[in-house]
Amino acid sequence: MDPSIADTAKVQIRLSTREDGLEVPDDSRLLFAPTSLRRVDLSRLVNNLLHNDTPIPFEFLVNGQFLRTSIDEFLTQNGISAETTLNVEYTRAFIPSLHVSTFEHDDWVSAVDILSTSSPAGHWTGNYPQENTRILSASYDGLLRVWDTAGNVLATSSAPHNGGRITSLKSAKWLSDKKIAAAGMDGVVRVYSYDDSTRTLGDATLELYNHNWQVDNIAVHGPSHRILAASADTTISLFSSRAKENPAAPESLLPRSTAASNKRQKLSKPAHSAPARGALATLRSHTAPVSAVLFAPNDPTVAYSASLDHSLKTWDLPTSSVVETRATSHALLSMAALPTLNLVATGTSARHISLIDPRASATHIAVMTLRGHANAVVSLDTHPRSEYGLVSGSHDGTVRVWDVRSVRTATEGQGQVGESVFVIEREGVEKMRSHGEGVKVFDVRWEEETGIVSAGEDKKVQINRH
Amino acid sequence: MSSTSRKRKVVQRASPESEEELADGLLEGILSHSEDDSEEESESEHDEESDASSVIEGLSDEDEEEKDIESDEVPSDGEEDIREQLRKLRTGDSHSKRSQASGDQSWNGNAEDGLEDEEDSGRNYTVTTDANGNPRYIYKEIEPVYDSDDSDAPETTNTIGNIPLTYYDAYPHIGYDINGKKIMRPAKGEALDALLDSIDIPKGWTGLTDPATGKPLELSEEELDVLKKLTRNEVVEEGYNPYPEMVHYFSGKLEVMPLSAAPEPKRRFVPSKHEAKRVMKIVKAIREGRIQPYKPPPEDEEEELELPHYDLWADETPRPEHSMHIPAPKLPPPGYDQSYHPPPEYLPDPAEKAAWEQADEEDREKEYLPRDHEALRKVPGYERFVKEKFERCLDLYLAPRVRRNKLNIDPESLLPKLPSPEELKPFPTTCAAIFRGQEGRVRSVSIDPRGLFVASGGDDGYVRVWELLTGRQLWNAKLSDEDAVDAVRWRPNKDSAILAAAAGENIYLVVPFAILSPDVEQSSRDVLDAGWGYAASKPSTSTNGIAAKEPPARWSRPGPRLEGKGVLVQATVRSAVKVIHWHRRGDYFATVSPRGQSSAVAIHTLSKHLTQLPFRRLKGLAQSAQFHPSKPIFFVATKNSIRSYDLAKQELVKILQPGAKWISSFDVHPGGDNLIVGTYDKRLLWHDLDLSTKPYKTLRYHQQAIRAVAFHQGGMPLFADASDDGSLQIFHGKVVGDLMENATIVPLKVLKGHQVKSRLGVMDVVWHPREPWCVSAGADGTCRLWC
Repeated sequence: MDPSIADTAKVQIRLSTREDGLEVPDDSRLLFAPTSLRRVDLSRLVNNLLHNDTPIPFEFLVNGQFLRTSIDEFLTQNGISAETTLNVEYTRAFIPSLHVSTFEHDDWVSAVDILSTSSPAGHWTGNYPQENTRILSASYDGLLRVWDTAGNVLATSSAPHNGGRITSLKSAKWLSDKKIAAAGMDGVVRVYSYDDSTRTLGDATLELYNHNWQVDNIAVHGPSHRILAASADTTISLFSSRAKENPAAPESLLPRSTAASNKRQKLSKPAHSAPARGALATLRSHTAPVSAVLFAPNDPTVAYSASLDHSLKTWDLPTSSVVETRATSHALLSMAALPTLNLVATGTSARHISLIDPRASATHIAVMTLRGHANAVVSLDTHPRSEYGLVSGSHDGTVRVWDVRSVRTATEGQGQVGESVFVIEREGVEKMRSHGEGVKVFDVRWEEETGIVSAGEDKKVQINRH
Repeated sequence: MSSTSRKRKVVQRASPESEEELADGLLEGILSHSEDDSEEESESEHDEESDASSVIEGLSDEDEEEKDIESDEVPSDGEEDIREQLRKLRTGDSHSKRSQASGDQSWNGNAEDGLEDEEDSGRNYTVTTDANGNPRYIYKEIEPVYDSDDSDAPETTNTIGNIPLTYYDAYPHIGYDINGKKIMRPAKGEALDALLDSIDIPKGWTGLTDPATGKPLELSEEELDVLKKLTRNEVVEEGYNPYPEMVHYFSGKLEVMPLSAAPEPKRRFVPSKHEAKRVMKIVKAIREGRIQPYKPPPEDEEEELELPHYDLWADETPRPEHSMHIPAPKLPPPGYDQSYHPPPEYLPDPAEKAAWEQADEEDREKEYLPRDHEALRKVPGYERFVKEKFERCLDLYLAPRVRRNKLNIDPESLLPKLPSPEELKPFPTTCAAIFRGQEGRVRSVSIDPRGLFVASGGDDGYVRVWELLTGRQLWNAKLSDEDAVDAVRWRPNKDSAILAAAAGENIYLVVPFAILSPDVEQSSRDVLDAGWGYAASKPSTSTNGIAAKEPPARWSRPGPRLEGKGVLVQATVRSAVKVIHWHRRGDYFATVSPRGQSSAVAIHTLSKHLTQLPFRRLKGLAQSAQFHPSKPIFFVATKNSIRSYDLAKQELVKILQPGAKWISSFDVHPGGDNLIVGTYDKRLLWHDLDLSTKPYKTLRYHQQAIRAVAFHQGGMPLFADASDDGSLQIFHGKVVGDLMENATIVPLKVLKGHQVKSRLGVMDVVWHPREPWCVSAGADGTCRLWC
């Protein structure tokens, strides 16, 4: 690089950040930077200003766009005068994750969940030991498996029997370090006990009946022992993980309720011991299968639900009533809450992620659209630390990481459009197709220590970590 | 007058009577002219010559006229004139008078008068006494005046009296002479011809006599030739050559001119005084005005001299020129280079000249080469004159004389304004899932009314149920070992889940309990089981009527193996079922088996396990059948037409003629007033039932046959077709409630992905009940979800 040119061309920049503990001192916020600087140089500069011993990699956002070239080229590309002061926001970089390990399954893996210190279940348990990080996977063969981070199966549940029905699991969550809730195609939510010391999972300890079609998603809140189940029969059920709190199960849904079913049940398995219970409340308002349900992160009495009827509803659980309905133009398949931004990210069948403001006061419904997936977005999770990070799993076989700060105004339609920061593909797959045959990602979780855990049609749980 | 004239008279005597008969009777009007003549005659002659009239009438027309003239004069002049006339007659026409007297007795009176006159003037004989003492008439010598010679007068006179000659038709004679001898019939032409034929004519015979020698005149060959030449108006001279050799008057031989070498006399160089004198005279005359240098010819004379001409266009009023009229093309004015003496810069240099001469005549830029001539008189004849005039005539003849209106319209602007596909989102654009796992073709596909599951049936005899979004196979059952599953259709009720599938002649009703919760399964089973009792009680009524007749379908249980899989009811019809269509309430379903003659279309009642055949006889090969989405109307598609029947009134409502060679499938718009028809001849036809029996729109975008068409039934203005070229096409088809506005049809998207296997591409297409998603069944053994 020619130093003379670097000396002559300078632009005034103002450094800022939205992350705590990383602010540079006030006196050094406004400075002149040579336009030949790139991200790496700026990152080094900020680290110097912060006097960090171990340098933190930073990304730099200028006008909502990540700086990928030199400042000079950026100014030229966007037609910005070098006379103006550039507002440069620096963020911790999302370092592209590398493939760490793969857990092989017998059948498609539909859901994963993580139990660790920083995971919700670990929070609820309190002081969960870091070394005991456990990964739960639910599979289409109806089995739950508990893994350690090294890829060993610690426990496997026994296959449930429901009168010859398909018991493929669709969703599974850690209620606490000892309890697991799982639900699937037979519409039954089952609660399992897991004993980490003996590493046993065994049969379900509680069976919750309220749905006559499959349950697509469950949400759990450990402290209040509440389970929300979103079902294809257009209802949402509120259960308690404690058997006694639930009322008796509706007779017609029990496997023994009909002669034919009972006969099959007896043939398949002679005895069944788990207590069957009904729902505390049934939330009826959707007109199409409900695909995702979520407890509000700050308030367990509020729930969000996303449905194929294109709407996002906010529920008040104590009264079982709809608080707010947000209609969109596409079928919603997945959901994740961004509490500090007061946004709910929803994955749609139209291959994008909509950030929706669920509050009644919001003027814009779809605040932002994240485009990049080539197929339905069926799973979403938030960054474990940053409130701006988002990870999505799609049927196109990719997992994408997003930063909602990286935005630009949409050329068409309303709101803003964002692009993914980086893409994780399925390991061992050469060519990705939009229909994602054989590599569809069904679930994805992002945990600080473990990394990005995704499960899919390739019968694998894949862990990526930077 | 010769005998022929007399003969004529005699022959014609009979005719007047017959003529009169005709005139009196039939041909009065026609013959009026001859009647007048006779009347005139009668008027003029009746006073004195009434008797003679009949004789005169017998004469020929010419004679009549003569007689008329004579007789006209007779009454006016009195008797003396008559006598004088008769005298003349005696001298000039004595023979005729005599003949008349001899032929006609009525003439005697006059003749006697004449004789008396003769006696008055003196007799031509003297009476003496002969030896016997008898008076002897000694006739005077006849003075041989010219007229007196009657040597050639005929000797014989026919004395048959006043009878028609036809009386002698049967005889060889025609009468008798004065001596009573028969007058033989004269020879006729035929006889003469026969005689002539019999005589051998020598060569050169002329039939003439040489007046010099008295011998028969014979002509030699040369004489005949001369005669021939004379008749042809040629020169008869011997040895005359009509084509003599050309004499070269102008020979190439150089001759010395002038003939005389004498020097020119002086006077030829001196102006002639005499001429000067004459010229001065003329000049003086001109000056005095006695001689006009130019005297215009008098116009009157010219006009008289010229032929009379007629102005055909004198009365013509000038018409205004047609607005599109083009005047004949004008020749461009000649330029400098066409001058006989052009400026040097227009003259070609040798290179240009060579190039011009070498170039093909058609390639030349100019048709002429500028040439320089010193003087106009040195300009040679223009060799291209005729050609140029001919080409100019051609130009005039071929030039357009009427300005034709050229359409200056952008073809794009003629296209109807269709909204862009981007504005018509959402519609399926990409393949979202592939349902793989079938062997052979997938023939039919169906999405359950909740939009969660896909059922498919194909060549492997399996019916399968898949999860819609993920493409996971959830359940399957093998219905048949031999037959392919041709049709699968979910029953359109949300409280139960029943799948109808057809394999061969069998229709199976399936409850895939593996994906159902107990209460849904139970309600489904209840629906299917409701009809069992009915079938048992039915025979009692049917035996009264047509006991022997085989029922249209046999409803039975399919056996424990299939029942264990959830296949609960089996209905067997007479021939292979290809199409199943459920009524919207789910109690009826129609099946179509194209090969079953009278049982091609059957309507089944699920709650009664009853099958009815609505058509005793169907015109054409049944292809598909559907219920109207809201009214009791039933549509049946045969090979060429679609008929709609009112099921309540049991009558034919409408016959649609899509004009297709072979209809493959059709679908009714959920509104019920529109229809799309897919045909094996690659066309997709939109029918508006309110408009006409002919298609409202014909869409031909596929390269191969269209196998299936489907409307979105969940309120989205979409429809799709599936073709053998391996592609699906998605259309926007918006139907508005306003009757004044026609449906808007916009092609949106071609979905490609299915592979063509043995010339079959996509076999079936079906829409999701709510979302803009569709599922297609391919011949490549896969189903695909498009969203």
